[in-house]
Amino acid sequence: MTRFLVTTLGLWLLAFASAFGAEGAHHALPLDAQPLHESLPITNSITMVWLAVILIVIFCQIATRKMSLVPTGFQNFAEWVVESLYTFLEGLMGAHLTKRTFWFFGSIFFFILVTNYLGLIPGVGTVTYGGTPILRGGNADINMTAAMAFTFAILWIYWAISENGLKGFIAHIFAPKGVKGFLFWTLMPLFIFVGFLEIISIAIRPVALSFRLFGNIYGGEQTLEKLMALVPDYLAFLPSLPFYFMELLVGFVQALVFTLLCAIFLKLICDHGDEHESH
Amino acid sequence: MMTLLATAAEHPNALEALSKTFGLHGAFFAAQVVNFFLVIIVLKKFAFGPIQAMLEQRRERIVAGEEKLKRIEKQLADSEATTAAAIAKANEDAIRLVAEAKQGAAAFTEQKAQEAIAQAQQILTKAEAAANADRERISAELKREFGRLVASTTTQVTGKVLTSDDQHRINAEALAKVGN
Repeated sequence: MTRFLVTTLGLWLLAFASAFGAEGAHHALPLDAQPLHESLPITNSITMVWLAVILIVIFCQIATRKMSLVPTGFQNFAEWVVESLYTFLEGLMGAHLTKRTFWFFGSIFFFILVTNYLGLIPGVGTVTYGGTPILRGGNADINMTAAMAFTFAILWIYWAISENGLKGFIAHIFAPKGVKGFLFWTLMPLFIFVGFLEIISIAIRPVALSFRLFGNIYGGEQTLEKLMALVPDYLAFLPSLPFYFMELLVGFVQALVFTLLCAIFLKLICDHGDEHESH
Repeated sequence: MMTLLATAAEHPNALEALSKTFGLHGAFFAAQVVNFFLVIIVLKKFAFGPIQAMLEQRRERIVAGEEKLKRIEKQLADSEATTAAAIAKANEDAIRLVAEAKQGAAAFTEQKAQEAIAQAQQILTKAEAAANADRERISAELKREFGRLVASTTTQVTGKVLTSDDQHRINAEALAKVGN
């Protein structure tokens, strides 16, 4: 019942947002991050990322300052979080790959999560200086999401080649799988064509990763802004309030989705070696 | 995917338009890559490194503890077996010692009994010898007294002073009649 009411209210407010689109245009969050100063390559999303880095450093310092075998307080919480994610990824990628790559997947998950939640702090995107928001959600900037996605793409190639060898890597993309002899050579042209399609798919992955995260976070922030613009300023918090809870969920889900997709892409390319050996 | 490729081929400036629309900027992109690497380094050095090391240390400690527990259990079982064997051996020894003691005591008792019998026999022999000696002595005294009385009586009856030979003869005759 509650879910129904929230959904109905949301749709109703969204309908109003569309209706008053012209009026709310000045409230719209721009698609691109705004530079804070013309001479510096620093945008409002970069400052947000720095803030996230500072928060992460502070948390890590508190959590790991006095490490003991019997954990308490922050150390306990940090260990629980790290161990949970590690175990989850281990179930997905296997012990070897997780041990080798956890530093990246752990970083990407926690960074996206912290940045997404920081973007929900009141004032982010709304407090402006000279018409430019001082802070903007880190992942509501395509440069940030692309930086993560393309970094992963490069690491993916490195890990794939180091795990399979160059020959195995190429064979994984182009060679027929599960067939031998005459059938192998007959299917070869087809699989070479499929291999080229696979390369295109691989090339598009970072783009898809970038835009998926950017779209979800930007869309969420845009929704909140539009909803706030529907009512007088002193009631601006009210229509967006239910969506803040949804954005909390979206922030976590998107961090998980980005991490999981990266982990699955890596698992798929590294699975070839085991599969090949088993035949 | 094919549609996307076809669209890209039809519009060579699509990427540029896309970048412009979404604000994809080389310098900002590079800055965000640097930021992202900064995050990775920070997390790896200050979070994942120490936490994973601690988790690994704890895991190793648990494994070592488990091994130690197994070793202790084995030692306990060995100790219990050794104790049981020692108790059984002690029990056997005790039974053997008691048997030996009983045997020794019986031998000692027998020896002492034999000694007591021998002593009693000796005492008896001595007593018999003493009794015999006393009897001989008393008998000799009696004979002597009897001879003296016979001689005295004979002297008084006959009124004759007996010589030493007479006395010996009368004594011998009298004793010969009384002796048996």
